[in-house]
Amino acid sequence: MSLNIFGGAARAVRPASQPPADTPADAHADTPADPPAGQQADAPRARRRRPSPIRIALLTLLFVVMTAPVYLLLVNSFKSQQDIQNSPFSLPLTRISLEYLEAAIHSPQYNVLRSYGFTLLLVVSVDILCILFAGPAAYVIARSLKRRTQILLLFFLAGTFIPSAALIVPLIYVLRAIGLGNTVTGLILHDVAMTLPVSIFLFVGFIRTVPRDIDHAAAIDGAGRLRTYWQVIFPLTRPAVVTVLILNSIGIWNDFISPQILLSPGSGNYTVTTAIYAGISQYSTDMTKVFPNLLLAVAPVIIFFIYMQRHIISGLTVGAIKG
Amino acid sequence: MLAPAVVVYTVMTIVPVIVAVYLSLTDWNGFSTATFIGLENYARLFDDPDTTRAGLVTLVVAFFGAVGMLGLGLVYALQLKERRWSNSFFRTLAYYPHVISALILGFLWSAILGTNGAINNTLRDLGIGPVGFLFDENLAVITLVGVIVWAGFGFNVVLFVAGLQTVPRELIEAAQIDGASQRQINRRIVIPMISPVVTVAMVLNLVGLIKVYDIVVSLTDGGPAGSTETIAYLILSRSFAGTDVGFATAQAVGLMVVSAALSVVVTALRNRQDRAAAS
Repeated sequence: MSLNIFGGAARAVRPASQPPADTPADAHADTPADPPAGQQADAPRARRRRPSPIRIALLTLLFVVMTAPVYLLLVNSFKSQQDIQNSPFSLPLTRISLEYLEAAIHSPQYNVLRSYGFTLLLVVSVDILCILFAGPAAYVIARSLKRRTQILLLFFLAGTFIPSAALIVPLIYVLRAIGLGNTVTGLILHDVAMTLPVSIFLFVGFIRTVPRDIDHAAAIDGAGRLRTYWQVIFPLTRPAVVTVLILNSIGIWNDFISPQILLSPGSGNYTVTTAIYAGISQYSTDMTKVFPNLLLAVAPVIIFFIYMQRHIISGLTVGAIKG
Repeated sequence: MLAPAVVVYTVMTIVPVIVAVYLSLTDWNGFSTATFIGLENYARLFDDPDTTRAGLVTLVVAFFGAVGMLGLGLVYALQLKERRWSNSFFRTLAYYPHVISALILGFLWSAILGTNGAINNTLRDLGIGPVGFLFDENLAVITLVGVIVWAGFGFNVVLFVAGLQTVPRELIEAAQIDGASQRQINRRIVIPMISPVVTVAMVLNLVGLIKVYDIVVSLTDGGPAGSTETIAYLILSRSFAGTDVGFATAQAVGLMVVSAALSVVVTALRNRQDRAAAS
């Protein structure tokens, strides 16, 4: 009995002879053409007209518990300290004001909006370097018949076992020894190293589904191995590249330990998380600063998530299960 | 083609692990010359009251957090498994905290549950409280687990829905014809059939929670009185007091070992499952 826990996402990991798989291949595509969806639709529909009270209760609870924090965050970002204290859940339309959000946007210290820039720089650098390093390495590992190269995959996989909280303190001394202590370069290289294991693993799995004949054809046409990878194999592994990019981007954007510990506060470089941390440690009781800053920190992620949710959910699921 | 990846990975991951193992065998305090003291730091791990408490807190948080996410994940996956627009909406709603930084979620919840937070301010108007969600030593651990479950169960829902959608429709219809109730079908057919997914989800939850750090920092900052300090939290706060690097790295190596052991379990389970799927 085949139990495919990877759901639709696993369907993306198919030979490239199929059409670009990322659009229909996510776990929740409600495509009417999908036969299981059609089958499933008949039987439950009869019962569906009257959802059971348990279902109503459960979903109401889910809705309330999941939306309440976001509602509070939104509403209280536009209220005065007094209104936040006295009536946290209300939205006094006559007294709401944009001044708190504006103050957060223009705040001279720990400015979350400005930290977007540095965080984005970090995410883009790590994404690019990770693909540049992981792609060719995965190609060699996937195509090699030598046992030694196969063991290399296990070597990389060992990296997923190491929690960054445990790694980061000794890393400081290593970075200092090679002259990268307290530098953005050091942070980027560390982040790349953190993303390599899962990225290589996902790439190897995908490249193995691409027929070797394609490599041979490229070789006959005179392409070297590096050129074969970048010009022939890489474009065919697009779904895996998308998964890796999503996984790494969200991971780096949300990372707190690494930037907090590898960059001293004096460096002036704040990511969204370290800016929020530094800010809230300072103004923790001033809710007119806490809520707008948190709103600024959450907004880009939520917007990105709503826009790309299918890719993100299937990407993170595949990454977690396989990584 | 292999060189860049191997070099970066070795220098940034493998070398620090070796350094950590070496430092954990010394009495280094960050400045002095390190003296080799053998396994003394490891012996201290089991005597040090802070470490044993943090170890216990980590186990409690990891176990109850993992079980909570799994349980809620299963309950909601059974509700949300059919492919429907509304179900897709509720799944997304359950899932969204998974993409937000745990640090930010912790700050948000501490603004809601703090003494001066939204909940306590509302309770105060009703003449109740304040409830020490974050300031009562026992309640704070429960709150921490609650917020972790809130943030993570949606991920379990998505895993289980993917598993449930592979349960053959005919099997359930056959059971319905035989007169089985929905509950019997779930208990006797559906859940046993997705048990491999349940196992993987459980171990993924545990591996993730054994190193929980960000949400502790932002929600309780280890308090009150250290009652929510986890091992990861302790390692990072100790190392930066700058006094006991040798001991802190021994804790770090301990955490690596536990985390590696759990991950080996994941890999073994996954391999078994892949073999089962292949046959």
